[in-house]
Amino acid sequence: MLDIDKIKKLIEMMVSNDLIEISLRDGEEEVNLRRPNSRLDVPTMSVQPGAGMHGAASNPGPAAPPAVAEQPNGKADAAAADLLEITSPMVGTYYAASDPDSPPFVTPGSQVHPGLVVCILEAMKVFNEIKSEVAGTIERVLVENGKPVEFGQPLFLVRPH
Amino acid sequence: MFRRVLIANRGEIALRIIRACHELDVEAVCVFSEEDRGAHYLSLADRAICIGGPQPLDSYLKSDRIIAAAEIAGADAIHPGYGFLAENAAFAEKCRASKLEFIGPSADSMRLLGDKATARSIAKKVKVPTVPGTDGILEEGEDAAKIAEQIGYPVMIKASAGGGGRGMRIVHQASELEETLKQAQQEAQGAFNSSEVYLEKFIEKPKHVEVQIIADQTGNIVHLGERDCTVQRRYQKLIEESPSPNIEARTRRDLCAAAVRLAKAAGYYSAGTVEFLVDEKGKFYFIEVNTRIQVEHPVTEMTTRIDLIKAQISVAAGEPLSFNQRAIKPAGHAIECRINAEDPEHGFRPCPGVIEKFRPPGGLGVRIDTYAHDGCRISPRYDSLIAKLIVYQPTREEALRTLKRCLREFVIEPIKTTIPFHERAIAHPEFIEGKFDTGFVERNLS
Repeated sequence: MLDIDKIKKLIEMMVSNDLIEISLRDGEEEVNLRRPNSRLDVPTMSVQPGAGMHGAASNPGPAAPPAVAEQPNGKADAAAADLLEITSPMVGTYYAASDPDSPPFVTPGSQVHPGLVVCILEAMKVFNEIKSEVAGTIERVLVENGKPVEFGQPLFLVRPH
Repeated sequence: MFRRVLIANRGEIALRIIRACHELDVEAVCVFSEEDRGAHYLSLADRAICIGGPQPLDSYLKSDRIIAAAEIAGADAIHPGYGFLAENAAFAEKCRASKLEFIGPSADSMRLLGDKATARSIAKKVKVPTVPGTDGILEEGEDAAKIAEQIGYPVMIKASAGGGGRGMRIVHQASELEETLKQAQQEAQGAFNSSEVYLEKFIEKPKHVEVQIIADQTGNIVHLGERDCTVQRRYQKLIEESPSPNIEARTRRDLCAAAVRLAKAAGYYSAGTVEFLVDEKGKFYFIEVNTRIQVEHPVTEMTTRIDLIKAQISVAAGEPLSFNQRAIKPAGHAIECRINAEDPEHGFRPCPGVIEKFRPPGGLGVRIDTYAHDGCRISPRYDSLIAKLIVYQPTREEALRTLKRCLREFVIEPIKTTIPFHERAIAHPEFIEGKFDTGFVERNLS
């Protein structure tokens, strides 16, 4: 059952921190909150009961409201918890694993060290292995498989050793 | 027509292209560097994608990241604006190889006309006058004195590896040639690591007059009249106007016809500008072609009522031009002042910083192309252009009146700008009379 109070609190938190998008999964429930334009204070909502890796809130098409990713929301988390960020060194499409049949390079709890491949970023049909520059434990994966990423966008939060 | 265009540029030209896209019902996607994050004009795009750090080499010049941004945004074309990658033929090719249309000419014609030597030889083939000079560098053993005699004094010795006005020396008579040539070669070696030089006729007190052309992919090439860009400082244009007050009607006609001939011979399409020098006798000489849209394009838009950016986008989408040469009837007079973040009282030194108060002028016949606003930060990393102030009236005299009023109204604080320079320039008798040459600024306003 959806907790309306929890969702209201999330909306307040988004507005006060000027976040554009939040995506939460709790067991089989998934909530995606997206503010189409930071000038409007009313976020839109899409709630999907049921499991699955889908449920991305972004919808690239002319009908979609404008989405200007000015503040990737990972920054708010990182600042709060002294976690390190692994950010994207390029523009491209994020892939968690080397191919669809393989397990992801890293998941929350994985140990990373400088030089370890953490994901693939694809651009212009070239698949680039992205290596960690920090040592620690993956705390959170911030991007979804197959999603576009910008330069500087946080990909992972890492708890340093 | 394209569904979505990616704009590989920043600042005022990015905003200009966003506007053209939206009027064509095309979505506009902007790229930005971390230095430009949060810029107001980005929020007017349908989407904005960060492509790198503050340095141009780490962002606006990173062709792979720009193309990747176009891919993830689902764009079908890229507009390069001016500067950065706009005249980079390799980039144009990379775009097209990635199934993205490049809004500009073909890579081949960009190469042909972008190279000074090949451009000159095409010009000669179609009887467009060029500046007399050596064809390529002065070779070992060539009789410099004989060549200089043929060209006619005064002669300019130019370093082949130089550019932007550097590495040039003037020789006024034959007796000075040998010594000056030796010095020039030594200087060139020291400054540019190459002693190669070429000789060119030095055109005294020239005027800089350029012709705007636009062409579609069906071979229809049209000129939109000329612009006079003679008011320059160190080869940087400051004031541009159309029509040129400095030339006769016949010169205008011949210049424009020459520009079209040249473009045709190179198989050119999209927007382009053919630059000429005009001497005191009204003779003109082809200098170079800019195979891109230019900063001063609004001047021509006012006199011809043609939206050049929309025309570029349409041409790139394969559409034929909606007008032919006969339909182009320039009217009225337009003048543009480049308002830069520079201090004219101190050698035009750059004055980047935050604009706290930005109050542009207005009224009938006034156009401002700018990305600035209250609180806008002018970065030291990019060019210093804050705004283009363009006025348009039926006559030059009325345009100057409006321009004077606008410069007085225009408030940009607290950073220093070139507004005071423009006020002095347009009040100078030479400018008012419409008889000035490229030495105007240095002579009167330094």
